Amino acid sequence: MLDTLKATTLPSTEVTGLPTPMLSAHDVCVSYSGKQALFDVSLDIPQNEVTALIGPSGCGKSTFLRCINRMNDVIDGCVTSGTILMDGRNILEPSEDVVQLRQKVGMVFQKPNPFPKSIFENIAYGPRIHGLANDKTELDGIVEVSLERAGLWKEVKDRLNQPGTGLSGGQQQRLCIARAIAVSPDVVLMDEPCSALDPIATARIEELIDELREKFTIVIVTHSMQQAARVSTQTAFFHMGYVVEVGATEKIFTNPEDPRTNGYITGRFG
Amino acid sequence: MTDTGQTPGARLGLKNRTTSDENVRQRYRKERRFKLLGQLALGSAIGMLVFLLVTIVGNGYSGFFQHEIALKVHLDPARLKLGDKRDAESLARTSYGNVIKDALRSEFPDVKGRTDRRALSKLVSKDADTAVRDAVLANPEIIGTTQTIWVKATDDVDTFLKGHMSAVEQWSPDVAAKLSLEGDRVRITAAGSAFRDLQPADGSSYLVSINGGVVKLIDVAGGVAKGEVLVAPRDTATTPAGAWHISAYATPESDRRLNDKAIAWIAKLQAEDRVENRFNVSFFQTGASTAPESAGIWSAVVGSFLTLVVTLAISFPIGVLAALYLEEFAPKNRWTDVIEVNINNLAAVPSIIFGLLGLAVFLTLFGLPRSAPVVGGMVLALMTLPTIIIASRAALKAVPPSIRQAALGMGASRLQTVTHHVLPLAMPGILTGTIIGMAQALGETAPLLMIGMVAFIVDIPGGFTDSATVLPVQIYLWADSPERAFLAKTSAAIMVLLAFLILMNALAVLLRKRFERRW
Ligand SMILES: Nc1ncnc2c1ncn2[C@@H]1O[C@H](COP(=O)(O)OP(=O)(O)OP(=O)(O)O)[C@@H](O)[C@H]1O
Ligand SMILES: [Mg+2]
Repeated sequence: MLDTLKATTLPSTEVTGLPTPMLSAHDVCVSYSGKQALFDVSLDIPQNEVTALIGPSGCGKSTFLRCINRMNDVIDGCVTSGTILMDGRNILEPSEDVVQLRQKVGMVFQKPNPFPKSIFENIAYGPRIHGLANDKTELDGIVEVSLERAGLWKEVKDRLNQPGTGLSGGQQQRLCIARAIAVSPDVVLMDEPCSALDPIATARIEELIDELREKFTIVIVTHSMQQAARVSTQTAFFHMGYVVEVGATEKIFTNPEDPRTNGYITGRFG
Repeated sequence: MTDTGQTPGARLGLKNRTTSDENVRQRYRKERRFKLLGQLALGSAIGMLVFLLVTIVGNGYSGFFQHEIALKVHLDPARLKLGDKRDAESLARTSYGNVIKDALRSEFPDVKGRTDRRALSKLVSKDADTAVRDAVLANPEIIGTTQTIWVKATDDVDTFLKGHMSAVEQWSPDVAAKLSLEGDRVRITAAGSAFRDLQPADGSSYLVSINGGVVKLIDVAGGVAKGEVLVAPRDTATTPAGAWHISAYATPESDRRLNDKAIAWIAKLQAEDRVENRFNVSFFQTGASTAPESAGIWSAVVGSFLTLVVTLAISFPIGVLAALYLEEFAPKNRWTDVIEVNINNLAAVPSIIFGLLGLAVFLTLFGLPRSAPVVGGMVLALMTLPTIIIASRAALKAVPPSIRQAALGMGASRLQTVTHHVLPLAMPGILTGTIIGMAQALGETAPLLMIGMVAFIVDIPGGFTDSATVLPVQIYLWADSPERAFLAKTSAAIMVLLAFLILMNALAVLLRKRFERRW
């Protein structure tokens, strides 16, 4: 069932042994009302891998993440330049349709933000507006698969009609992940998804991320070095709007090239 | 500052233990005082509200009731000028004034003279005609027979019976009374202090109801009273204790709208149980009238309803759409700032200005009909718009941004985000604002005066372009009327208005509850 769901949206031809970049950003600059927040960020996001964005507060991690699904568009005074290529198209092009883009690039926010509707409705909303289900049984199937993948199905299968806001914080965050993956995106962006959660709920989400990388490309912003080290295969260190260093997570955490990276991961600043 | 005798703590401004205990006590005192003040404020507010309600209900309660008189009407076809015709149209067309007059005269055959007869026929309302006609139309068979038909008393009689015309004291002496005729005077003899040493010359009127007649006392000397016959007694038989009574009217006859004779007639009818205070159904069926007893609230209610329909139909969609656009779609720049400031200013504009605008634009420029609910509704919509826009914007602002982010992040378009998520969450606030605006509009008088909705409207308005008046204007008109009976009508109308306001608020709460069920 999982595979049929995936097969409808993703041509399964491209999966090769080489890490093909799912997304590649070139010279992305962002400024808010004239104040520049990102400077010439260039970064490749490999397919079906987890990329962690780390860096001190205010360095532009969230800003970069929001470029990938164009959520910066709704911020007044935010100007973006540069290119981000996805499937050979520049998604920063103004003519690019953001609705289609956001179906392909889902997002999970720092604070769990389920809709004030039932658990079922939370998951079914995306497939419904994108017309992914032809009838009720298909929709039921999508909801079940999504919740299953988010590791929430067992806990909520008897209370699908109860409000999503009635779940615990960790469950709500997993609900948000389930909601994001229900539209079969290619990329899932996560902005500090565990910062509002306790260690046990965090561990569950990390496990989940590990499972999800098989199907999705994941970009995660985190303030926890351990978390970045645990879940990611590639890490990018941001500092004052610049990408200082990108590389395999192991290398960044064991043998960073830049002294600022070293300082940050060893906790000397940030 | 550089005092060396202080401890280091004191130099830093720290207080020692005992003063900080004092601090705590002071804080508690302050809190208690604050709580007390709050309770006082709440108490006085509730007190004033209760006072207001009690006065209005106390005054207005009687406005819903109206005294009626049972007339024995002989439906003589000749007096009705019917001839042989009995068809509904003739029955409806003919005047019943004659048979009503006849009925009153046969009740009081002693009444002679033009003035007295006119006074007599003024006991019953002009509405009596309608009452008799309705009875006849309901059953034409009764033509030619004598029927007992309840008709409304005039406002003066009603006012008198409700005790608003003169203070009345009535007592039933516990001794027997003897009646004897002395020319056109009567002498009433009663033992003991039945007459309480009355002084009929003091300006008050003292009427004795005895043996089915009414006597007005002229002179009292101990147990003997002399008086003038207003309604002839059946006989001069001795009346046992308790079967006769004396009524004292404090207001002098010249200051009353009903003279002693009229009061005597009413007293006789009352003695025969033919006067009743009944619920005034027609108050909820008719429109304005110069006669208080036939004046009703219904045309004003319908006028208010039609006006509010127009107001709602214009201001709700425009207000909500404007708020949605400004809050969710419009770029935040100088122009939207200017618009926002102007909307806020608009909310503070005195309502009469909107009336002037309506007069100049809707009536003079567009040539729309005067006094019509459609124009009133448009004027009130102008007045209500800022309220709805401001309330809606506040409701939209209160929707957490995380919900918008979630929806946009799911790939919902801006419009979908608004219609699927933001609007449903903001709806309770929007509806509350709208209903508050509507309630404001329902109570508004000044702008409607400007566009001529202050007219004297007898007919129930049938459409949006008919002449109409509204509840608060009706209240204003009645409060301005000289007749005493309109005072109670005014309060009664205020009660109706309040009832509608409470109903609207209940609706607001209900709607809010319904929408809030969606979490
Ligand atoms: N909506 C906005 N309007 C104006 N400036 C913004 C906005 N969002 C972010 N910025 C600015 O852009 C810079 C980068 O912010 P960003 O939120 O991307 O940082 P971050 O790395 O996510 O920080 P944190 O780890 O604290 O979340 C900061 O200087 C911030 O002040
Ligand atoms: Mg951030």
